[in-house]
Amino acid sequence: MSDLVSVLLNAQDAYVHVFTAIFRWIAPVLASVLLFRCIKPLLTFRRVPEVWAQLCLSDDHKLPVTHWENVIGRSKRSDIVINIPTVSRSHAVLTRYDDGSWTITDADSKDGVFVNGKRIKIRALQSEDVISIGGVEMTLQPISKQQEQRLAQVRTKTSSVFSSFANVVLLSVFQCLCCLAFLIGSGSQYAQNILLGFGGIMVCQWLLLLFYVCIRRISFEVETIAFFLCTMGMAIIATIAPKETVKQLLAMVLGLTLFLTVGWSLRDLERAKKFRYIAAAAGVGFLFITLLFGKEYYGAKNWLVIGSFSIQPSELSKVCFVYVGASAMDRIMTKRNLFLFIGYSIIICGCLALMNDFGTAIIFFCAFLVIAYMRSGSVGTIALACTSLGFAGVVALKIAPHALRRFNAWRHIWEKPLAAGYQQTRALMCMASGGLLGLGAGNGWMRYVFAADSDVAIATLGEEWGLVFVLLAVLAVAALALFSVRSAAMGRSSFYTIGACTAASIMLMQTILNALGTVDVLPLTGVTFPFLSNGGSSMICSWGLLAFIKAADTRQNASFAVRLTRKGGISSE
Amino acid sequence: MNRVAARAGICLLLVALLLFGMVFFLFEYAVNADAWVVFPGSPHVYNGGNIGCGIVTDRDGVVLLNMSDGRIYAQAEDLRKSMVHWLGDRKGNVYAPALSVYSEQLAGYDFLNGLYAYGRIGGTAKLTLSATVQQEALKAFGDYKGTIGVYNYKTGELLCAVSTPNYDPDNPPDISDDTTGKYDGLYVNRFTQSNYVPGSIFKIVTLAAALESIPDIQEQSFICKGSYDIGKDTITCTGKHGRQDIKQAFRNSCNCAFAQIAEQLGKDTLTLYVEQFGVVESLSFDGITTAAGKYDVSQASQFSLAWSSIGQYTDLVNPCGFMTFVGTIAAGGKGVKPYLVESITSDNMTTHKGKGQSGDRIMSAATADIIREFMAYNVSDKYGSDNFPGLTVCAKTGTAEVGGEKKPNAWMTGFVADEEYPLAFVVVVEDGGYGREICMPILSKVLEACKQSMIKNG
Repeated sequence: MSDLVSVLLNAQDAYVHVFTAIFRWIAPVLASVLLFRCIKPLLTFRRVPEVWAQLCLSDDHKLPVTHWENVIGRSKRSDIVINIPTVSRSHAVLTRYDDGSWTITDADSKDGVFVNGKRIKIRALQSEDVISIGGVEMTLQPISKQQEQRLAQVRTKTSSVFSSFANVVLLSVFQCLCCLAFLIGSGSQYAQNILLGFGGIMVCQWLLLLFYVCIRRISFEVETIAFFLCTMGMAIIATIAPKETVKQLLAMVLGLTLFLTVGWSLRDLERAKKFRYIAAAAGVGFLFITLLFGKEYYGAKNWLVIGSFSIQPSELSKVCFVYVGASAMDRIMTKRNLFLFIGYSIIICGCLALMNDFGTAIIFFCAFLVIAYMRSGSVGTIALACTSLGFAGVVALKIAPHALRRFNAWRHIWEKPLAAGYQQTRALMCMASGGLLGLGAGNGWMRYVFAADSDVAIATLGEEWGLVFVLLAVLAVAALALFSVRSAAMGRSSFYTIGACTAASIMLMQTILNALGTVDVLPLTGVTFPFLSNGGSSMICSWGLLAFIKAADTRQNASFAVRLTRKGGISSE
Repeated sequence: MNRVAARAGICLLLVALLLFGMVFFLFEYAVNADAWVVFPGSPHVYNGGNIGCGIVTDRDGVVLLNMSDGRIYAQAEDLRKSMVHWLGDRKGNVYAPALSVYSEQLAGYDFLNGLYAYGRIGGTAKLTLSATVQQEALKAFGDYKGTIGVYNYKTGELLCAVSTPNYDPDNPPDISDDTTGKYDGLYVNRFTQSNYVPGSIFKIVTLAAALESIPDIQEQSFICKGSYDIGKDTITCTGKHGRQDIKQAFRNSCNCAFAQIAEQLGKDTLTLYVEQFGVVESLSFDGITTAAGKYDVSQASQFSLAWSSIGQYTDLVNPCGFMTFVGTIAAGGKGVKPYLVESITSDNMTTHKGKGQSGDRIMSAATADIIREFMAYNVSDKYGSDNFPGLTVCAKTGTAEVGGEKKPNAWMTGFVADEEYPLAFVVVVEDGGYGREICMPILSKVLEACKQSMIKNG
């Protein structure tokens, strides 16, 4: 009898090995195919300009109006170019609203904007209104409802429902195999946590997809990428801190809630503009609360402990910051100064300085630069950057002792493998030990290293899943950013474009600091990898940011954060 | 909108930064990953400071250490003890550089799979040491401290190298409370890492220098009255040897005669030859760097120079280094350096093949022949050939005064002149006493074991 038991135990040992030997090849192939299928449409969709109205000049010349926000001016970079000396470089802004109405705003032009002979600052346009800009008279002819529907039909199609389903099925298969790898590999001690963790993600992704189908949205690439990263994050947690899988899953559910909330708030630009004030207040509010009641862990006072939960409010402030920074065109063109926003940024940076949170400060600073550049163009940016750099310097000085140690070790980790370079040398040794295909789920050593599931999470990924997965994770984030940039060309409002690009930049910055910090290309700053790192606040923030990227996706029926054209989209009644 | 859309390109800067950083990392990874994997302390390769993967066997395939899962030493306790200084222990108190240097081959790293090893056990390192000889040497040494080494001066294979005191890595002693001194230098591999006062074995060096640089040295005769005055100081001898030629003086290990030879040679010449012979040089093989000896007469008086020529004064030699010097004489003035790792195989592929590094010619073949003859004469005329049945042994003993209350260090070094057993050896016994008495029995057993081992191997 005991012989039989031992034979069976040995047999189990054997099939675990066989499974690992096969799965380590299947996993990267499956993941690569999945990501390729998701990324390809995001980077290759055809960008067809949408014509929303026409400006009829007195000589019967017609100028197409291709955005919801259009700068009229002499400058070649204007959306509607009228090259006459009396027209200012940026003269006026023509804005379309969700209900199809239009306004014209004077962009501080020299000669002013006249509607029906009266000089105006801003005015809602009625049909037949005669607009006069620098002596050029014109009328606005919005497209009719029929034309609008036709526009919806010819608009860049998003991928098919089938494709989205196929991707989610592929992801689900991958998740099942991951789960299996952990369950048969590492025994059953944490089987329940692991099952809940992976199973929970699977349920969430299917529910979200079904919800999308119900509201006639079919693009799911961006979400699939996010769910894939969450899955890999779960794989890291399952090996490093299996008790925390459920906590991370809950954070993901909260993140999805934030994702849908922010997305909903962005559907309507006017609503979004109102939300900015709440966001602005919340952004500083979170930081103030942290300053007052926060706890200091590992050198930074950025934790808020409520009962048995601890959160990092500065993560949530990132989402608020994007909200505050984004701005519509009329505002950009009329109020060129950014003083309010700079003031706001200074307060944020000041709070972070007081918290000693170096990594987050860099990310905010970078987000600030992106916003400042996108809003002001090149002219003011340099000055702004310098100003803000000064503040960054203050931050850096303030937290010098904490950061200095890491900067000292930078590019010298192999000289101090047991002191300042410990985390990174272990990370590199383990990543190299994993090779391209990894040692197998649960077979890593990184669990003995501090922050192996957050600050140096990619090392755990590299060790157990292989370098291929590290590259896939990094490429996934890069793809989200490239998609945001591509969407900008078809952006309807600068509010969405700035929002998407800022959100993407924050994710990029986090990835740069996390991934490159882990491998000693940059100093290690203790920043999380979006969706991947263990950490509730970070997970919630990542989903919040994703909503901004989603809101800039104007492909037909692509995004829940973009309204279908008033009377129906492709399946109009 | 066009402007804002164009400005969105700023994100591309960050994308570029990220991708550039990753490419830079990938480049570093491609170049350095094999080194990272085996960097000391690498968790999948090292275990408690020592390499923790692969298998180590002796020259006959006897498994000395299996590290494919944990750290399992040989079955026999005496084998574990005799090998501990080469294999290292669990805590890293004894470091095993010769294994660590081949960590890449032992770990079985490859770029695609990393250290993933289904159905593989990493590499197998075959040492040149013989388990049976090691066990015999350990037994022969008894409770003495010291070291013995034997190597094949034609190929460089190190057949035997035991350092005592040693201990069982499966049952390490608690040395923190020890006051008896029996664990002094427990963790040191005396064969490669220690330095000893050489005493009379250094006369081989002086003899070689004299043969090389004084043309009529063999015609000269030296008178020993039991002591020899240099200025106000006196060199003492073990006896009154009377008139003797250099061969007799070497046989008698006559301090007075060698003091006179040193006077003829002078500081500079002797120093030059010590350097040329590489007696005090540090050796490097298989990741091991032996301790460098010392011969410095720059500040020495004539009297001190005389002492230095007979291995006292500030002279220090490393046993392994001196063995190599003697082995080179055996090989005719140009030989090979010792090595420890015979081969490493992984998946039936030989990833490393050991080879003795050939040395420079350090003396003429004629000089080497004369020294060989003299050393053979020492054994046949004085030490007793019957101690080494079936072997033509050439040797020189030494009794090195170390001062204090300790007995002298006993030395014996030399080689077997037989074609089929080209073995050079060194024995040093700390606090031992008279060289010949202490070392001869040990050496006799170990050389016999070596001989048997070589016969078994054909």
